[in-house]
Amino acid sequence: MNLFTLRALLSALLFTSLLFPFSAIAQEQQMTEEEEEAAYEAQLKLGEEYYSVNCRMCHGKDGDGKGFVATIKYAEKKGRVLTTYPRDFTVGLYRFRSTSTGCLPDDQDLKTTIKGGITQSFMPPQDGISDEELAAIVEYIKTFSLRFEDEDPCDVIAAKKPGYVGSDKSIDKGKVVYNDMKCWECHGQLGAGDGPKSLDIKDDWGQQLLPFDFVTGELKRGSTPENIYMTFTAGLDGTGMPSYEDSLSEEQRWNLVSYTLKLMGKIGANKDAGGH
Amino acid sequence: MKKLILSLIVMALVIPATSADARKRKRYEVVDVTSGGSIVGTIKAAEKVADPVMKVETKKPEEVKLCGAEFKMNKYLIGADMGVQNVVVAVTNAKKGKAMPTENMVVDNVKCQFVPLVGIAYKKTKYVIKNSDPVFHNTSIGLMLKGKRSTVYNLALPNQNQVIEKPVKRTGLQNVKCDAHPWMRAYIYAAKNPYAALTGADGKFEIKDLLPGTYKVMVWHEGFGEEMKTIEVKAGEATTLNHTFAKK
Repeated sequence: MNLFTLRALLSALLFTSLLFPFSAIAQEQQMTEEEEEAAYEAQLKLGEEYYSVNCRMCHGKDGDGKGFVATIKYAEKKGRVLTTYPRDFTVGLYRFRSTSTGCLPDDQDLKTTIKGGITQSFMPPQDGISDEELAAIVEYIKTFSLRFEDEDPCDVIAAKKPGYVGSDKSIDKGKVVYNDMKCWECHGQLGAGDGPKSLDIKDDWGQQLLPFDFVTGELKRGSTPENIYMTFTAGLDGTGMPSYEDSLSEEQRWNLVSYTLKLMGKIGANKDAGGH
Repeated sequence: MKKLILSLIVMALVIPATSADARKRKRYEVVDVTSGGSIVGTIKAAEKVADPVMKVETKKPEEVKLCGAEFKMNKYLIGADMGVQNVVVAVTNAKKGKAMPTENMVVDNVKCQFVPLVGIAYKKTKYVIKNSDPVFHNTSIGLMLKGKRSTVYNLALPNQNQVIEKPVKRTGLQNVKCDAHPWMRAYIYAAKNPYAALTGADGKFEIKDLLPGTYKVMVWHEGFGEEMKTIEVKAGEATTLNHTFAKK
């Protein structure tokens, strides 16, 4: 079969499934429990193979973050040294979620981190990963913690950027929030991560954490307005960064996004709406 | 080839739906308990331990005023008869029994301390997290896992009299901390069954209405650590469980 026939076949299949959505459900029902289990096992096997080659070096055979390359020191432009540790999957805790504090991440959150990597850390992007491998590695990583078996998934939080984000008015309002919410106590008045409490923070593994200096560069979870909004909303579980979902309105959080973007130098002094 | 593609599509549709439900572990089941047994006892210390004093390290004037310079930790509350207060005694393997309590677990931030210091929360009730102070607190509750921790909730409470409620979902021993004030601490045992108790000032506790059976019981104290006991409970009888902690 040549490529063209394959493509034609795939489009035909896609077209058919769009026309007859119930045919897929009928197929699903035909799969016995054993077949489902076998399919899941096959997926886990693929995930394990991918993990062994690409992840185990740092995250360890048992997913506890104790691979050959466990601790990495990293000097920022200003000379502060940050120590980063590979994620320990056994506690089932993830920072970059689009779900409320205390919730498991959504599959898509894990996929985004794995595929895109984490900037300013040593988690590299997986550019060549196929969708099948990505789904498999996510399922495999979940097996390191019983949380994924015990807990029901949470709803994904929507992040729809309002038009005013990045406007002068929104920046000003965000500055008030930044002061009132004591963001500066850890992050410093200008976001350099040098606030009065910046040296007191420890993560869930008992390691000292430095609040991120968002003047020097990109944020680990990504620097889009939506990424920043999600950090304020969901918090970064396992770190000192709490969730403001219950203590700030959506509008206040978006204004805080504007001010953060301003501190990051992503908005010029006289620019209006848009942000980037 | 067609079959292969079709089965791949089917796999992609099926896998996300099956993995979670099929492997769920068994949950606690409520049944009638008519002539249940109980566990009673006293938790003691082998010797008196001085209650340590914690220094408050803050440079902010308003916090110095509010939080004070130092405080008694209330870590070792040992009575005249050597009874130890604030010990969690919890049955860990009860799969069936009486209904779960419905009272919520209140965690208040008062003068840069958590109140209460030790408490029991029950699954399906709520944590009611309050800030009675005019300063920023964040309340971070996390499961204690052999030297590690797994955040259960980390909530900002920037305003005085702020109250946030969150469901009790993850069970086990949890510590409570505030990243803004590292000396703050509290402990919560989040129970998945109703059979848990906290010792009073005399070190005594009682756990009632258990179905007859063999139970594993955890005895935990902030300073003395954890002990596991196995005891047999008979219908209509009280079984005694005493324990004396040696100094660590």
